[in-house]
Amino acid sequence: MNDATLVRKNLFRKRLRAVLLMISILIAFLIYGMLGAMQNAFSMGTEGAAQDRLVTVNRINFTVALPYAYWGRIQQVEGVRTVAPASWFGGYYQEPQNFVQSFAVDPESYIEAYPELVFQEDQRLAFIEGRTCAAVGQALATQYGWTVGERIPLMSNIWQQQDGSQAWELDICAIFDDADGTYPTNYLMLHYEYFNESLLFGRDSFHWIAITTEDTSQNDRISREIDELFANSPAETSTTTEAAFNAAFMEQFGNIGLILTWVIGAAFATILMIVGTTMVMAVNERTREIAVLKTLGFTAPRIFRMVLWEALLLSFIGGLIGLGLAALAAQGASAALAGFLPSFGLTWTNALTAIAFMVALGLITGILPAWNAMRVRISEALGKV
Amino acid sequence: MLKQTTAVTLLNLRSIPQRWGMSLTTVLSIALVVGVLLGFMAMASGFRATVDGAGSDDVAIMLRGGAMAEMNSNISRDEVRLLEVAPGIAASPEGEPLISSELYVVADGIRRASQTPANLALRGLGLHGPDMRPQFDLVEGRMFEPGSAELVVGESVQREFEGFALGDSVRLGNNNWTVVGVFSTGGSVFDSEIWTELGVVQNLYQRGSSVQTVRARLTSPDAIEALREYVENEPRLNLEVLSERAYFARSAGGTTNLIMFLGWPLAIAMAIGALAGAWNAMYASVDARTRELATLRAIGFGGFPAFIAAMVEAIVLAFFGGLVGAVATWILFDGVSASTLGSGFTQIVFAFAVTPDAVVQGVILAMIVGFLGGFVPAMRAARIPLLAVHAD
Repeated sequence: MNDATLVRKNLFRKRLRAVLLMISILIAFLIYGMLGAMQNAFSMGTEGAAQDRLVTVNRINFTVALPYAYWGRIQQVEGVRTVAPASWFGGYYQEPQNFVQSFAVDPESYIEAYPELVFQEDQRLAFIEGRTCAAVGQALATQYGWTVGERIPLMSNIWQQQDGSQAWELDICAIFDDADGTYPTNYLMLHYEYFNESLLFGRDSFHWIAITTEDTSQNDRISREIDELFANSPAETSTTTEAAFNAAFMEQFGNIGLILTWVIGAAFATILMIVGTTMVMAVNERTREIAVLKTLGFTAPRIFRMVLWEALLLSFIGGLIGLGLAALAAQGASAALAGFLPSFGLTWTNALTAIAFMVALGLITGILPAWNAMRVRISEALGKV
Repeated sequence: MLKQTTAVTLLNLRSIPQRWGMSLTTVLSIALVVGVLLGFMAMASGFRATVDGAGSDDVAIMLRGGAMAEMNSNISRDEVRLLEVAPGIAASPEGEPLISSELYVVADGIRRASQTPANLALRGLGLHGPDMRPQFDLVEGRMFEPGSAELVVGESVQREFEGFALGDSVRLGNNNWTVVGVFSTGGSVFDSEIWTELGVVQNLYQRGSSVQTVRARLTSPDAIEALREYVENEPRLNLEVLSERAYFARSAGGTTNLIMFLGWPLAIAMAIGALAGAWNAMYASVDARTRELATLRAIGFGGFPAFIAAMVEAIVLAFFGGLVGAVATWILFDGVSASTLGSGFTQIVFAFAVTPDAVVQGVILAMIVGFLGGFVPAMRAARIPLLAVHAD
């Protein structure tokens, strides 16, 4: 019998107690994993290509439109590669509750500015060519069961056509995905020209313009030059990186990060107390056994290590199961919430942080009982009745 | 039997201090569960109170059909004229119909807490605008002068955002404004807004003569039917008529549901974790008293009193946990001001509200945890064999 067996036997000597503790730990890591995955969904679009792409919006606020002419004028700024303008469409499908995130874009420039969107070549060309075509993200297509070739009426809760109608008839010509699962695909794009020509009000304007540059180190200069171009005009602009723009928008919902931290903190405080006191108690119960082990020649450091390993083992079994369940649950929740949030899941960073937490939990809950165990005095312990 | 039960229960409760470590853990872990639940509930009910409180039954709001939200709505000057003569609308002492054409645009404010920009509603209203908000009260300064770039700001705006003190000059969009007054509508959503005259907003934001919504004070809550009938029978009007209360109830739903859908599952998950803890603690408690309980059995006590005593101990600990959690949440969160993006795409400032109803629910959850956590260990207490007297 080696030390590992002894540690395992000790841990499970009261099977029910061990299982209960593992459930507590499992729950804490489940919560940690789920909330971590959710936070990923919110912070999506603040990394990767978004760091390099610029976004120009109206300086008053991004809900205020920019004139059509800005498209051409920004194109002339030195170092600008592509300029992709877009408008909110405010779409819904059949019922106002079925919100469809949708933008009116210039297809060619938009696809060029967002290389992370993956199209089948024939569908890409069909989308660019067809005036009434729409390209639908994979997540959105799955949500409504849309397929290529279908014709759908998309209602707008913002815009009206000259004939009073609020529905635009769209042909689904393409379904796009993203290259590596880090970008949302829960939206729809339609042709700006098709959208614009029949508008009753608000014609020839954009809500935002995405810009890619030849050399990303020039981004600061280019942002400044664009904003200077329109300074003192009725529609002044504000140009930032897309990442900064997205982060500022998420910030508007409130300090989500702080709330998640509080909840995770509460969950860990709970298990820390439960596991900590139980471990102390479990070791106290074994005082006499430890004295026997010492009599048999187990050194104090060896006993210290064994108790510590026991706490670590407990923490890892509960923690890893919890983390696994969280990964599964996040996948399920992500599918269920496809319409509201971009797809989300656990990242390697989440997993590694969780493992660090498991080590910390094991050490914190194990150190006091291990210390107690190490200092057991044979004469006193065996002298006890 | 009753005497036995009471005796054993008291014995049990009095010995809690001997096991204070595990007992305290149980109390605190349950307190944390209840704290998380009440925190979310306080957020949801605070938000709901703010948005619902804005809606009045005797004010009708009219939006373009299908617009759903004020921001997306658009009503022309001609349509407003038709509404001025609609039935069911109360009249001012001077005999004018009490209606207010309104238009809001989004302006950036700087949040005090995070120093980041956030959307604020800059609302232009008609002369009778304040009459549509029954609790409107000018707290400081005076009302704006029609035609000048003057603002009155809601109390919540002043609290959460920087630079809106009385007399301050503020830059919104491309224009400079002066804050001339501060108003309150009793903590409703309107307190998160900045008001000025309708014509000024139409001018400075190039909106021509169109507005987004028309609000009308009704002669009585039932008069909305007459108004609705008039609008439906008038072919030149394509409008949705709603009582303001119904409008706000519809727009509050999404956010409060989201908070509750997040709060309850989290609290239940944590409750399961705490349940495991409570179960463990009760097991330890029963284990520690094995000899004592067996002795009681030996001198003629039944198993049932031992069961009840253990259950009472578990539930009492859980009850205290629930109470500690509720009180802590109340001290920490009640009244805390926060703001989030509302359905109008602008910030809504609200205060966390720990309601008695939520406290009751929290304590009930705690006691359920105590009951379930105590049950199996209590069964064990009831079944301790007599021979356990010899246990060490």
